[in-house]
Amino acid sequence: MTLVMVVDDDQDLAEMLGIVLTGAGIDVDLVSRGDEVMDVFRNNPPDLVLLDVMLPGLDGIEVCKLIRAESMVPIVMLSAKGDTQDVVKGLEAGADDYMVKPFRHPSELIARIKTRLRRTNADVLGLLTIGDLAIDVQAHQILRAGKQIALTRLEFDLLVALAKEPGRVFTRDALLSEVWGYRHSTDTRLVNVHVQRLRSKIEHDAEHPEIVITIRGVGYKAGVMGGS
Amino acid sequence: MNRFFWKARNSLAFKVIISTVILSLGVVWITGSALNSRLSSGIREVNLNSAIAEARSTIFTADYRFLLAQGEKDSIVQKVVDDVISSATTITSNENTREVVFVRSPGNTRAINYEIASNLLDPETIPESLSERVRKSDDIVWQYATMRYLQGVSVPGLAIGQKVQIPNAGQYEMYIVFSLSNEEKTLNLISTYLLIAGLILLLLITLITWVVVRQVVKPVREAARIATEFTSGDFRQRMKVYSQDEISTLGHAFNEMAESLEQQIARLENLSRVQQRFVSDVSHELRTPLTTLRMASEVIAASKESFDPTVARSSELLVAQLDRFERLLEDLLEVSRFDAEVAVLEAVDFDIVQLVNRCAEDLALVAKERKTEIFVKSAEPVIMIKADIRRVERILRNLLANAIDHAEEVQIDVQIAASERDVAIGVRDYGIGLDENSLTRVFDRFWRADPSRARIRGGTGLGLSIALEDARLHNGELEAWGRPGRGAHFVVTLPRKTWESIDQRLIALQPEDYTA
Repeated sequence: MTLVMVVDDDQDLAEMLGIVLTGAGIDVDLVSRGDEVMDVFRNNPPDLVLLDVMLPGLDGIEVCKLIRAESMVPIVMLSAKGDTQDVVKGLEAGADDYMVKPFRHPSELIARIKTRLRRTNADVLGLLTIGDLAIDVQAHQILRAGKQIALTRLEFDLLVALAKEPGRVFTRDALLSEVWGYRHSTDTRLVNVHVQRLRSKIEHDAEHPEIVITIRGVGYKAGVMGGS
Repeated sequence: MNRFFWKARNSLAFKVIISTVILSLGVVWITGSALNSRLSSGIREVNLNSAIAEARSTIFTADYRFLLAQGEKDSIVQKVVDDVISSATTITSNENTREVVFVRSPGNTRAINYEIASNLLDPETIPESLSERVRKSDDIVWQYATMRYLQGVSVPGLAIGQKVQIPNAGQYEMYIVFSLSNEEKTLNLISTYLLIAGLILLLLITLITWVVVRQVVKPVREAARIATEFTSGDFRQRMKVYSQDEISTLGHAFNEMAESLEQQIARLENLSRVQQRFVSDVSHELRTPLTTLRMASEVIAASKESFDPTVARSSELLVAQLDRFERLLEDLLEVSRFDAEVAVLEAVDFDIVQLVNRCAEDLALVAKERKTEIFVKSAEPVIMIKADIRRVERILRNLLANAIDHAEEVQIDVQIAASERDVAIGVRDYGIGLDENSLTRVFDRFWRADPSRARIRGGTGLGLSIALEDARLHNGELEAWGRPGRGAHFVVTLPRKTWESIDQRLIALQPEDYTA
């Protein structure tokens, strides 16, 4: 059974989240303080973390950084502020996705969680290459000259999405629907922040990307390395 | 030359100096000329008087000597004439020269002729008019004349003449001609000095004016500089006050104003910070319970089939009203963000035609419920702009929702036009329209055209007000047109690059299809 850790200081909301998730067949671990997260996390590693931004003890952004330092587990931030700075800070701290309270529908939350838990690209078999990287989709591994590069699930999905159609230029909206599972969202910051993070891990020089290339005014495409 | 006019228009010091120079030039000119003419006429008069006195005595002496020579031989008379000439003329100096001319009176037919002019003076020097007057008068007569020498030299002079009787030779006219070249030189010298003195005076006046004006203008310039820096945001700027004069009063007044402004601004900034925190707090405090409520209501609504009809309907109402409550909360928060001026633009490149089409598609179902339909017509298939897509989408949704609400089962036409710099979207409905009074209030918060009208779609009443703020945040404009019963037309014009300003209205506010 899937385990989701819900970190929120509002008891009622946490309980409600618990009811909704349990109803969808997901096990829930409730944590109400930021500084208690890591203990619970280590004792009982979840498959996904739902993390509120405003927390007593330690704020959500800091918690997010702590989790990222140890694990590639998907993190979805819950934010009561739709304000840009909070969202971007959360994404930069390593969150994969965010949801602004109040959610449109509980089903929307479930859908997001399921998208993040789904083994994406199960249809792709064997080995992909992008630039000088080799991607083993089944084993969930990225290799450069035999050495493994650690990516979060989302970063992995993003890279695979680009790699499996090397000629295609993906708009940010297309990536949002392909990787994040949004039907139509206008929040392209999500894509921008994650592309930056992905580049910092896989590019030789993040200032002059050769693997994930920006097509100005359109979006991104997989880079073709000279010779390879 | 342009620079000169620029300075003349823009520099107070320059203006004052120029007008002082012009005015003092006039004054110096007038006093200089008056002084010059008084001096020269005085000098001329003195010279004239002494010349006349001298001439009178010379001619008298000559007359006397001719009288004594009465009855003598011609050779003696000739000697007397020579003596008279040599004693009356000066040969030494060129200045103050005196020449003597003897001219035979007309009608004198004696054989002996003593006509002579000293020192090669041309006898023509004596003007005919003077000769005539001498012949008629018994006294001495004078006139200014130009002295011409046979060598070709000519100098200004004064000719004085009288009739004399030379023994055995009859009546002659004796003229003494005084050279005035010395007087002329003196007069020239005086006017030259007056001119030089005038110029020096003018220069000094200019200099003094410049110094004085600097004293006045410098603190004014300083004040202007400080005011400019103050305007550009440096509220700590103050004027330096050194003395007790009017300039220092200006300085004091300015500093007091600056002080009060700085306090006001600090107070407002503080208010804005408080407001911002309040917005953020309200946002967090209200949204968390609202999220719980939303989820709870959805969970309840999901199993409404098992409830009896009244409870089932209640759960539906609960969900719907929570929706409305949430929209209202979002709009209120947005409005307070505008009021606190903390709304920020996040500009991205996107195709506005695609966005309009998407909004129209999203609202197509709602439109169908209200028996209307949205038609989008664009001048170009793709119009890329750089703007905050979330806000532009909100403007479009608000305009479309408003049109659907008032369409009265007639279609809605959306028009998109673009130029190099701007893009405009017009939303035209043919429904109930707006009267003059409504047009002025249509963007007011919570304002409704007809209070008795049912709120069918459950709009928040803030939509158009927020749309206007959104448009203005983009340096754009949102305008409304309407006639009762003839529909309404809302036109939003945005610069294609959000930091620029719009330079023309691409869609006429009064729709082309409308004729009064």
